[in-house]
Amino acid sequence: MNPVNRLLSRNISAGQITGYVMANLVGLTIVLTALQFYRDITADSGTPDSFITRDYLIISPRVSGLGSLGGQVAGFSEAEISEIDACPWVRRVGRFTSAAFQVYASVDAFGRPMGTSLFLESIPDSFFDITPPGWDWTPESGEPLPVVISKDYLTLYNFGFAASAGLPQVSESMLSAIPFRLSVSGNGRQEWLPARIAGFSSRLNTIAVPEAFMQWANARFADEPAAPSRRLIIEVSQPGSPLIEPFLADHGYEAAGDKADTSRMIRLLSVITGVVIAVGTIISILAFFILLLSIWLLLQKNRSKLHMLMQLGYTPAQVSRPYTVMVCIVNAAVLALALAITLISQLVWSTRLDDLGLSSASPWITIVTGIAIAITLTLLNIIAIRRRVASAFRI
Amino acid sequence: MIASINRIDLIGTLPAVFAGSDAASRTSDVWRRDISFTRPATYLIRAESGTGKSSLCSYIYGSRTDFSGDILFDGRSIRTLTVNEWCSLRRTAIACLPQEMHLFPELSVIDNIMLKNRLTDCKTGAEISQMLAALELDGKISTPAGRLSVGQQQRVAIIRALCQPFSFLLADEPVSHLDTRNNAAVASMIHCEATERQAAVIATSVGNDIALSSPVILNL
Repeated sequence: MNPVNRLLSRNISAGQITGYVMANLVGLTIVLTALQFYRDITADSGTPDSFITRDYLIISPRVSGLGSLGGQVAGFSEAEISEIDACPWVRRVGRFTSAAFQVYASVDAFGRPMGTSLFLESIPDSFFDITPPGWDWTPESGEPLPVVISKDYLTLYNFGFAASAGLPQVSESMLSAIPFRLSVSGNGRQEWLPARIAGFSSRLNTIAVPEAFMQWANARFADEPAAPSRRLIIEVSQPGSPLIEPFLADHGYEAAGDKADTSRMIRLLSVITGVVIAVGTIISILAFFILLLSIWLLLQKNRSKLHMLMQLGYTPAQVSRPYTVMVCIVNAAVLALALAITLISQLVWSTRLDDLGLSSASPWITIVTGIAIAITLTLLNIIAIRRRVASAFRI
Repeated sequence: MIASINRIDLIGTLPAVFAGSDAASRTSDVWRRDISFTRPATYLIRAESGTGKSSLCSYIYGSRTDFSGDILFDGRSIRTLTVNEWCSLRRTAIACLPQEMHLFPELSVIDNIMLKNRLTDCKTGAEISQMLAALELDGKISTPAGRLSVGQQQRVAIIRALCQPFSFLLADEPVSHLDTRNNAAVASMIHCEATERQAAVIATSVGNDIALSSPVILNL
């Protein structure tokens, strides 16, 4: 060790440095872990079914026992739709249009014909963030009619029906590849149309077709004028707003599936994560001041040595070097440890998140953030050291 | 970077503590006068204790700035020098032996000397050994400076001060703790180094003058 380092490394307190390492490790780890967790829980699943990625709520009137027995179908009146549209948490409202005609689907699968009655619905195209392929269908095009079906139906078939009936399970890609035909009838007409499955959605719990088809078919095959919309899709401007639930309850509306609950859970987790990040940041800031104080104390103890070295012709940069090197090493070690803990933690929780249907986000943003924080802390430390050393130039 | 200085001018320089009092400057050849130090030459500044000898060295060496008037290096006010310029001057143009010697007591004799020499790369190991031998310190190379007598420390500090190129050597009471024999040895070493570098020596004294030949004598 050269004599300068030997002189200046005296009085370095291992206890204080360890204290800083522990404190900043805790702070930085909390910040990075919370950030990664936040990114994981808010990560879009990114699978092809997410035609609708923003926050939507699908609501319907609660079905009353007596009403359904009487054959009446509950729907939304214009007044109700206006009232919903006026709510502060609503950005826009779209109506589901139901088919007012008979639909029968037929497929020649596994060597035997299979068929089933179906119902179809459509929503305004603008509610799709990613338009399913072939969605610009026109009657004249002769193209197969694209259909988006709920992922739940496939799950229901694969794990409910197929398993018990001894039928083969099918994958999304397999099903998408199978062409089928739709028989559309009503109003004294009947037509066969080629159709194909354009995708699966976990948000739309229906069998959706393009709105253009629905308008065309309703005009052509409907026996009677279209019934009022039975379901509405709402783009929510304040997801997880506390106003939503009481409004739905007061008006006797039901939100479809548990998507609203999931969204609320994610919002809640986001808030908690925000609080945790804030706590981590505060711990990191306090740790930073511990190191700063420790360095100032050290420089104060070594002030006369620093002064004497500069009297010999050493520059402030030269006499600062042992301290800046120390700060760089300590901060790099803290960063490495904090990132290691964060990434290991992510491995632990990612399996749990998979169970919840959430996928993990890439850790790069977290790593870059960690590096940025470490560099910032180090630079601030180095500036403080330089200033302190320069002040010892003259006594 | 300033590599050498040919002339140092004092323009009405006066320590701040003497401001408002005529006592210090009435009889002084230095304070409140316009005087020049040029090289090669030898200056001996004689003064009683408390009249500002160490202050003068500190002002010229840039360690303190509490003076009125001005000091010029080749016409440039030293008040305009940056910290890095001072550090550079202290490696190449001005050598200083402070009265307090500024040795690091925990470092050995050789480490104290190398602290300067590794910065300037001025002397070889053999030259340093020769200098140590000439000042009767060859047996103390590995001894921590703190364990040396004050006279020995003074000799180590002199060798360290000479381990650099210089235009001016400021020696603040360089032989105050030395006997006649060591005084002569130190004076001879300083004379050789100064002659070789065409440098000026500015030495101070409270009575035990360094034995340099025919100095310009100034009373502070």
